[in-house]
Amino acid sequence: MNLLVGYTADQRGAEALELAAALVAGTTTPSLTIGIVVPAATPFSAIYPGGDHGFDSILSAKVDEWAVAALAQVPQGVSAKVVARSVSSVAEGLIELAVETGVHGIVLGGRKRHRAGFFMPGAVANALLHASPVPVFMSSPQALASLRAANGQITRMTAFVGDRPGAREVIANAAKFATVRKVALRVATLVADTDVSDPATELDPHLVRTKKFLAELTESMGLQASIEVISRQSLDEAIDSLAWEAGEVAILGSSRLAASRRLFVGAKAQRILGKLHVPMAVIPN
Amino acid sequence: MSQELRQETAEQPESGLHSKGLSTGTVGVLGLVVIGISCIAPAYTLTAGLGATVAVVGTSLPAILLAGFIPMLLVALGYRELNNAMPDSGTSFTWATRAFGPMIGWMGGWGLIAATVIVLSNLAAVAVDFFYILLAQLTGNQAIADLTKNLWVNIPTTLVFIAAAAYISYRGLNATKVFQYILVGFQVAVLLLFAIMAFTSSTPFDRTPISLDMFNPASVDSFTAFAAGISLSIFVFWGWDVTLTMNEETTDPAKVPGRGATWTVLLIIALYLAVSLGVLYWAGVGQTGLGAGNEANQESIFAVLSGPIMGPLAILMSLAILSSSAASLQSTMVSPARTLLAMGYYKALPPSFAKISPRFMSPSVATVVSAAAAAVFYVVTRLISENALWDTITALGLMICFYYGITALACVWYFRSELFASVRNFFFKFLAPLIGGVVLLVMFFSTAIESMNPDYGSGSAIGSVGMVFILGVGVLLLGVAIMLFTKWRHPAFFRGETIKTR
Repeated sequence: MNLLVGYTADQRGAEALELAAALVAGTTTPSLTIGIVVPAATPFSAIYPGGDHGFDSILSAKVDEWAVAALAQVPQGVSAKVVARSVSSVAEGLIELAVETGVHGIVLGGRKRHRAGFFMPGAVANALLHASPVPVFMSSPQALASLRAANGQITRMTAFVGDRPGAREVIANAAKFATVRKVALRVATLVADTDVSDPATELDPHLVRTKKFLAELTESMGLQASIEVISRQSLDEAIDSLAWEAGEVAILGSSRLAASRRLFVGAKAQRILGKLHVPMAVIPN
Repeated sequence: MSQELRQETAEQPESGLHSKGLSTGTVGVLGLVVIGISCIAPAYTLTAGLGATVAVVGTSLPAILLAGFIPMLLVALGYRELNNAMPDSGTSFTWATRAFGPMIGWMGGWGLIAATVIVLSNLAAVAVDFFYILLAQLTGNQAIADLTKNLWVNIPTTLVFIAAAAYISYRGLNATKVFQYILVGFQVAVLLLFAIMAFTSSTPFDRTPISLDMFNPASVDSFTAFAAGISLSIFVFWGWDVTLTMNEETTDPAKVPGRGATWTVLLIIALYLAVSLGVLYWAGVGQTGLGAGNEANQESIFAVLSGPIMGPLAILMSLAILSSSAASLQSTMVSPARTLLAMGYYKALPPSFAKISPRFMSPSVATVVSAAAAAVFYVVTRLISENALWDTITALGLMICFYYGITALACVWYFRSELFASVRNFFFKFLAPLIGGVVLLVMFFSTAIESMNPDYGSGSAIGSVGMVFILGVGVLLLGVAIMLFTKWRHPAFFRGETIKTR
């Protein structure tokens, strides 16, 4: 498996690299493409009183330094190369590189930010979540702590699905990662009381239906997966009561609003992303 | 096996930086003219520079504006040669170091940094003035415009403007093409409107007929006034050289830069003449009331004249100046930061100046230091000078003459072995930069000596030494002190270990 790391020469970049290395480790040809995107100066932002003051050549030398330092962080057994690209937007540059190098996903480091309980990705992650044609993996310090607790080994993939048609693609994609990574697969559905119009009478049949639907679905796909349907009063409580193993990775599908093969995170997914403390991936539908 | 692959790529990362990505070859003549005008920022330079220039040359303003362009042109031709020979290191600092060695190179870089830091503080001050004027015009409450005269309001607001500009340039946010076209188009339109309204006004304050003598540089009273006028009018063309140094960004490097530079300067000169003649015609150079010779009007000429001339449309002028100075504030912030970065990188300053933010890919320490220096310069000038804007502009003219002069002579010296190899070399590498450089350095020394007079500039003085001298020469001496300190603590650059001299 080959992943593209959206690298910056700081803590975030190191975290992204660590997660990416863990994700590809143990696959048949584990390799990383470390992407450093340098925002290209547009001529229309010309500097007064003129000239770039030697900035380009200094930056270029700096990028070479960063590249050497990044490669030194890649663990044994994983092949890696650095590709630097000068494009006006970082997200655009990463998508370009991802398409050109045919990677299986993009890995980002970042910090969790919340607004009114929703996950607020950084500018780059946000742009990628709206436009990436390949899965986007996101790490955070908490997520890495979970990974390190498992000695840097990925232990399980958890696919978050609803009972709607998109479930099949998400499960299939998660299964693909679980298979190449040779780890277990779990399928989880979170149900809040408000998901049904009359919880008293409809909730139990809904849960039974959902469980049956997912069991049949995974069986028809020939997958060995544990299925968990969590029902709580609110979505937040449901998220909190889902148990996690150290080294687990959460996988979500992008919203049905998204254009085909493009990411776009829905409100429910955003809520889940905000509450999770494990590495997360969002897969385009 | 993986280890080998890593070693291999480590040595040759595919940085691809030198192709400059998407920006290659997208700028045509019109685009270049827009870039040039946006770098010159005519609405800002006119309001800041016109009054101070009238103060020294009176009605010969048009002649001085025309004459001031000549040394600018001669020096810019030398700049172009240096830029073509060393495209990767385009800065006065590296060029002068390669030509003259570390000490003069260091001072050339310092002159550029000082000039840009001074202009930053002036840009911020002008932006703040027009911010409050605009607020007053919007609300119809004249008291708001006077807030800017209250130091407790003015200084904090200016610091906020400087901090905001530094933050934006640290984040690496860039102006887009559409934004620049709108900004430049608006500026030019408003300035033309001002000139037309001044000429068609039925009630000029002091109607002064336009005469041919206004275009005659010889009609300036004295050489010192002429020199001071030239060093001020260089400021109004400052930034034009960017059109000559843009090559690979243009659609046709053989033709576009030359044409773009020519059109830019023709447009700018036409605009400057229209506005300055309009000001002379409408206001005269009388020293009372709205006359352009009145000291009270000189630090920001449009702040005084746009209301009486343009009436309710004066709000457009405020908007044009505010937008042009705020945009320039942000784009100018990049310049000293990058020169400081280059000096840190080549060990001419402590290495921490060479830090680049890995997230935003912009100078981090150098940007903060530039902004802090501009803020300190502003606060000091504002507190000790009666007429800070005017004195800073005059000191700025000095500084530009200094580093342009050094850079032009660096061109001659750098190419010394090939000066007479062809007619082209003779003109562009020798004659033009030599004359330009010598003229500018003469202007520098003449203005510096003259400015020791306590009556010079706005007339502020400390002891019996003029404020402009203290600001200008003080900043240069500060540079010498910092240079000697760096030489003592970080001698590598001064031993020629980081930049090879030719």
